[in-house]
Amino acid sequence: MDEKVSEWVAAMRGAPDASRQLLAGWLGKQTHRFTITGLSRSGKSMLFTSLMTMLKYRTEAGYECLPLLTRLPTSLVDSMYMEPLPGFEMFPVDEHLAALESGKWPQATDTAYGFRLIVRLTEQGRFKRWLMPYSEVVFEFIDYPGEWVTDLPLLEKTYNQWSDSAWAQQSGGPQHRFSTRWREFIQDFDFEQEPTEARIAEVVSEYRAYLAEAKREGITMLQPGSFLLENDSLSLTSMGFSPLPSTVTSDPSHPWLKAFTANFSAFKKDWLAPLKDKVFREADKQIILIDVFEGLNHSREHLYQLKETLSHLAETFVYGESNWLSRTLLRREKISKVAFVGSKADSVPVSERDALLSLLTQLTEGARAKFGDKEVDFEHFLVSAIEATDEGEARNAVRYRNQHGDYVEASFEPFPKTLKDMESDTHYPVLDINVPKDFLPRILNSRGMDRLLQFLLG
Amino acid sequence: MTESAYRSKVSQKTLEESQPEHAMPSRMAEENWQERPISGGLSWGKVALITGIASLLALLVYNAVSGLLADFERYPITSSVLGTLLGIFVLSVSIVILRELIAYRRVNRFIDSRQPLGALRELPTVADVDRALDSQASQFGRHSFAEHCYRHYQTLKRDDQSAKERVDLYQHHVQQPVQARASSVLKRESMTAGSLAFISPNALIQTLAVMWISLRTIRRMAQVYGLRPGTAGNWRLVNVLVQNIAAQSLFDLATDEVVNQISGTLSAKLMENSAEAVAAGALNVRLGKALIKLLR
Repeated sequence: MDEKVSEWVAAMRGAPDASRQLLAGWLGKQTHRFTITGLSRSGKSMLFTSLMTMLKYRTEAGYECLPLLTRLPTSLVDSMYMEPLPGFEMFPVDEHLAALESGKWPQATDTAYGFRLIVRLTEQGRFKRWLMPYSEVVFEFIDYPGEWVTDLPLLEKTYNQWSDSAWAQQSGGPQHRFSTRWREFIQDFDFEQEPTEARIAEVVSEYRAYLAEAKREGITMLQPGSFLLENDSLSLTSMGFSPLPSTVTSDPSHPWLKAFTANFSAFKKDWLAPLKDKVFREADKQIILIDVFEGLNHSREHLYQLKETLSHLAETFVYGESNWLSRTLLRREKISKVAFVGSKADSVPVSERDALLSLLTQLTEGARAKFGDKEVDFEHFLVSAIEATDEGEARNAVRYRNQHGDYVEASFEPFPKTLKDMESDTHYPVLDINVPKDFLPRILNSRGMDRLLQFLLG
Repeated sequence: MTESAYRSKVSQKTLEESQPEHAMPSRMAEENWQERPISGGLSWGKVALITGIASLLALLVYNAVSGLLADFERYPITSSVLGTLLGIFVLSVSIVILRELIAYRRVNRFIDSRQPLGALRELPTVADVDRALDSQASQFGRHSFAEHCYRHYQTLKRDDQSAKERVDLYQHHVQQPVQARASSVLKRESMTAGSLAFISPNALIQTLAVMWISLRTIRRMAQVYGLRPGTAGNWRLVNVLVQNIAAQSLFDLATDEVVNQISGTLSAKLMENSAEAVAAGALNVRLGKALIKLLR
């Protein structure tokens, strides 16, 4: 009996503590759901790796690696920890750091990873500290292959609409050059034959070969990008398709049209819709990661094509200001903050960064037009996830260690101020940068991440 | 057109040197800064005090001796020693006054020369901001907390920061921590002022204690800002100081009267002292806030 009484007394004593913990959990939690929309090779994985490393070293060792980030003051950070998001594999930050350690860039992402980063802040006020000893800033991130993101607009299209737009894209711009073989194949293919499994596989395989080559040549609008990755959940026998010539698509009773329409529907229903629900879940903040240099590496046409791709991508997200009801009860978020981020800014010399930012601003014109009159706060940033280069002798030069281990100085001619100023017969080749041996301080000294987080947490 | 047909706008050359290594970023090591003792060793103030007392004593001895030996001319050595001591005393007092004047000018120069951060944000280039902040920081005393913060701020400068961001960085890493530290010093000193007022047995001791703690508050806070305003500090502060002492004396009179009217019990005395302690603490806070307003 005495024991029971003691237990009861102890429980009563602990009740205020438990209540306060509960209250802290309810009121002291500030959750930021980020979606990072980046095309393939835009540097998402490196950005995640860098972000996690910087926050870890800032919190645990007190390194001032994000000097402009005042919304998460070091003096108030109590601890930081990570946990996987339910239904996702944990982001392999250790593997990525190990890859950097062995002199290799992190592997491109081939599946979805999710993680939650929780930064626990101590309260300053005495009463607030008693009531809620800490508050938490929760970041939810999902990393996924960039190839998937270009597929989202397909959800709003019928097969015929998509097939027509695919041909339109291949008939002009840089795609035209790389699709010659594929177009010849279609021209020669006999669509009077029955669409057997083997024949469908042959057409889809040829289309995938075109997509792969286009990707190698810097094309960003690749649909369906999912076909470029091997995935057990995506059966190309039941979900494979390609554009069909208008002679076929104009006849609703054509067996090939019926077969590809069925596969297209299965692709949307069984692959894309669940993918959107899981990976591209509602977020309140969006980082659109763009490798402008990749466009400059190829041609002016590539830059225009990148602009078009970004514009299409913006159609697939819901923008605007969420109210308390929709956010808390209906769990429906709208994106109210968008950061357009030019990645790998360290590859560009200091003298050309203003021009790079100006090009980035122009590339996002179409995407920004999609916001319409909705309340969306946006800004443009240049970010380097790692400071892999050093300043050159002149302001228009950078120095870096190339894949052969040589230390090289690259001098740049001035960047065009506008897209139309880019000469059609010139390009800025991507630098063959190797992982620096001192990658850790170079991650911690990287530029722009503090400015970006400051904006997003505001 | 194939890729190879494009003209490259990047020219590259291999260098003979190897890639330099980056250092880890600095750490925020606020706790490493230690408040230095306000004075160490034999200061001129102490010399003045000692020689003053010595002169007084010497004069007393002299008077005693002159009482015995009426004729001064008959004792030249004694008069020489007394004259020397008096000379040292006058010299020491002059040096103390000079130092006070220099310190006074330094505080005024700092207040006059510094530009509000809002104005710095309007400067067109980062170089202009750097120049203005460097000039401001050049007046921070060595080993001061402000200088410590400024050195840390220097390590956080990046080549991609704009003028406005540079000012924000300064505000966050120098101005705000310095003000927070000054506020914490003020809080501590005000608590001491209150405690001393509470335990002071009479009005004279209380006034002297409040005056002493007020001067110490000014010195300690100015040290955080990297300035040594001298004992008197700034004229505006002296005004506040005098007003504080006057207010404290008036408050003392008022509480005495109230206690006399009520009764002379121990609890009434306790209440009186508590009220005076609160007043002393509050007046010290007032003084400190005036200083923060002047220096921020």
